[in-house]
Amino acid sequence: MSNAFAACFDHLLAMTPYGVAQSEKESILLEGLNDLTSHHRAACPKYARILGGLWPGADLSTEIAGIPYLPVSIFKSQSLSSVPESDVRMTLTSSGTTGQQVSRIPVDAETSLRQQRALANSLGHILGPKRLPMLVIDSSAVFRDPKLMSARGAGVLGIMRYGREHAFALGPDFKPDIAAVRHFLAQHDGHPFFMFGFTFMVWLEFYERFKGEGLDLSNGILIHSGGWKKMIDRAVTPADFRSAFHRDFRLDRIVNFYGMVEQIGTIFLEGPDGLLYPPNFADVVIRDPSTWRACEVGQTGIVQVLSLLPSSYPGHSLLTEDLGRIEAIDAGLDGWMGKGIRVLGRVPKSELRGCSDVIGAQAA
Amino acid sequence: MIAVFSSAGVAEMPEFGFMQQIDKMSDSSLAPFSDVSREILSRLSSQLVGRRETPQFAALGYWLRPASITRLKTSFAARVPANQFPVARGMAFHLPPSNVDTIFVYSWALSLLAGNANIVRLPSRRSPQVEWLIRTLLEVLEAVGDAHRHLFCAYDVGTGLNREISLRADLRMIWGGDAKVNDVSSDRVRPDGLSIGFPDRKSLSTIDGDAYFRLDASARDALAERLFNDIFWFDQMACGSPRVIVWVGDSVRCEDLSRDLYQRLTRVTSRKSYSVDAGVALAKFGYLNDMLASGTGRAAYRLGNELSVLQLDPGAVKPPDKIMGGGVINHVVFPHIEDVVSAVDHATQTITHFGFDIESLKRLVEKLAFKGGFRVVPVGQALNFDTTWDGIPLLDYMTRRLVLIT
Repeated sequence: MSNAFAACFDHLLAMTPYGVAQSEKESILLEGLNDLTSHHRAACPKYARILGGLWPGADLSTEIAGIPYLPVSIFKSQSLSSVPESDVRMTLTSSGTTGQQVSRIPVDAETSLRQQRALANSLGHILGPKRLPMLVIDSSAVFRDPKLMSARGAGVLGIMRYGREHAFALGPDFKPDIAAVRHFLAQHDGHPFFMFGFTFMVWLEFYERFKGEGLDLSNGILIHSGGWKKMIDRAVTPADFRSAFHRDFRLDRIVNFYGMVEQIGTIFLEGPDGLLYPPNFADVVIRDPSTWRACEVGQTGIVQVLSLLPSSYPGHSLLTEDLGRIEAIDAGLDGWMGKGIRVLGRVPKSELRGCSDVIGAQAA
Repeated sequence: MIAVFSSAGVAEMPEFGFMQQIDKMSDSSLAPFSDVSREILSRLSSQLVGRRETPQFAALGYWLRPASITRLKTSFAARVPANQFPVARGMAFHLPPSNVDTIFVYSWALSLLAGNANIVRLPSRRSPQVEWLIRTLLEVLEAVGDAHRHLFCAYDVGTGLNREISLRADLRMIWGGDAKVNDVSSDRVRPDGLSIGFPDRKSLSTIDGDAYFRLDASARDALAERLFNDIFWFDQMACGSPRVIVWVGDSVRCEDLSRDLYQRLTRVTSRKSYSVDAGVALAKFGYLNDMLASGTGRAAYRLGNELSVLQLDPGAVKPPDKIMGGGVINHVVFPHIEDVVSAVDHATQTITHFGFDIESLKRLVEKLAFKGGFRVVPVGQALNFDTTWDGIPLLDYMTRRLVLIT
């Protein structure tokens, strides 16, 4: 395997996290992403067929927006791997409701290591160099079967690596466990700690359950992720979220991030301006939903994510099903550089119905 | 509760009253092609023919006009021996599909002509246009004084009403694919009743490359327009909507010619302001990637969001089973028209054709006999309703024959 992309990754990771100007970052990223395209073309026959069939002449792109991209849904319908099966250390799956197809992402040792280094770098930027005591806003039951890991389990487990003396706010039965939370806070009284959970869990199973308990979380940092869809359903805005935690728990340091199982380890962190920034080794392009051309700053479109992490599967350039918008490039607030985006929810699923009724649709 | 439709709107009715009304409808048959039924369809036709903004309604209106009904009557009568007398079956129960929003009228109208009383279970999701169509239809029925023999209703599938109504049905028409036909068929009709199911179907089109080559620009545009109607009405999701286009001729030349036609097709989509939303566009992109990864397709290209072309591997054809509508052409080139059968299986319904002589089409039909396919019709007529549907002469099945020997 060539190592150009790995060298580009190392190069970018050594620079100030979330602090590289877009043009400087792009020149390094482009080489690495092009190298990954060639690597996957050589190593994954299905990917090679897609490139050959849909991207003639796209061997070496001269710009980030020209890198071929796969629809994120392809990992549900096809198993795509760029390593021999014996090298697959674990297969990540997206959490889907029963009956839905799930994404299957094969991860080998090398990709896994890069994911860990990437995550350590991103989280270190928020949490500092030392491991802090960690309160997981989930249940330990969520990562029981390591061979077939759900996105939620993998997310929790992946981030637990960066904390110590873990406690779980939900019991093994997924019921809120106030005693465990109080015990954790008493143990680390007066010392910094951090919390992690998925946004809707944090809200429903932590905030809603414990808001009257008089907890003091002022020494804590809350990191959360998972999107606002379920929060919008409850009419909770990011501002509501922040002010609720401030009012009821005296918690002010809250950081959201955007990421997905198909590019696990690549997290878009919320900067001081509330925008989400890709890490140095990743980038984002917003595509116009009718022309699919790259959008200008301020224009809403479909989010495409690019990252130097995936070498065991062809996931280095993916068209997501999320809507988003670039709000600023190299805004520079507190040193945050690159593209600052807002993610605006899912592209509405469209149903084309024909002569053939779905049984469910009859009842609806 | 059951929603029962009248021209005044929708009324909720308890099950008991509903079943009573159905029982009253039995023994209310009319003679086939009665004056009353012809009057109803004539009036409905005149309400529909001018509806340019809903071309599928205009097509329905055209199909229902008196001249067309007279032709139906003549051909129907010609099929009946002199000593046989067609009579209505009795009570017909129609379960139309949830989308293709005129099928319920075709199914009902033929049954009306047969002389049957009718119960039509409407889909739960109805567009404003369909609501208008139902209201218009009921106004006509009430004006002519035949409303008591027809029940248009809607209810949830879990209510057991399909079962109750089926038990009383002399005739049941199930539209909506394999799953629905299987599901509804587990409820019995009367022991002497007849149940007809219309399962999953798919369709294709075939074009002669040389014939296309000889067309001038305006004739090519006219063909593109007919192809547009076939493909894009009902978002390419009707049973008759072509999903595959087979070009017949030299492969290199047909690639060029097909691109010319598909370009013209995109000009029709933009002129007619057909557009797909981002969700459909993403699904189509996903489909192309999926088919390339699996090797079903060997290349693909997008002509904007409305039209994507997947070039099938001629060696691997068997066209994809996965259904993707909203403007995806699965494209393949074969040397001879007989080769079209390799893209056909038992689920194939309509094959539209352009540019072939009668002898070629007959050769195709002979080959089809052992593979599948129910209609071979010109491009532009893919969605035309025909009284012989999926190989079944509907009026003949909707009536029974009384034999008189003197």
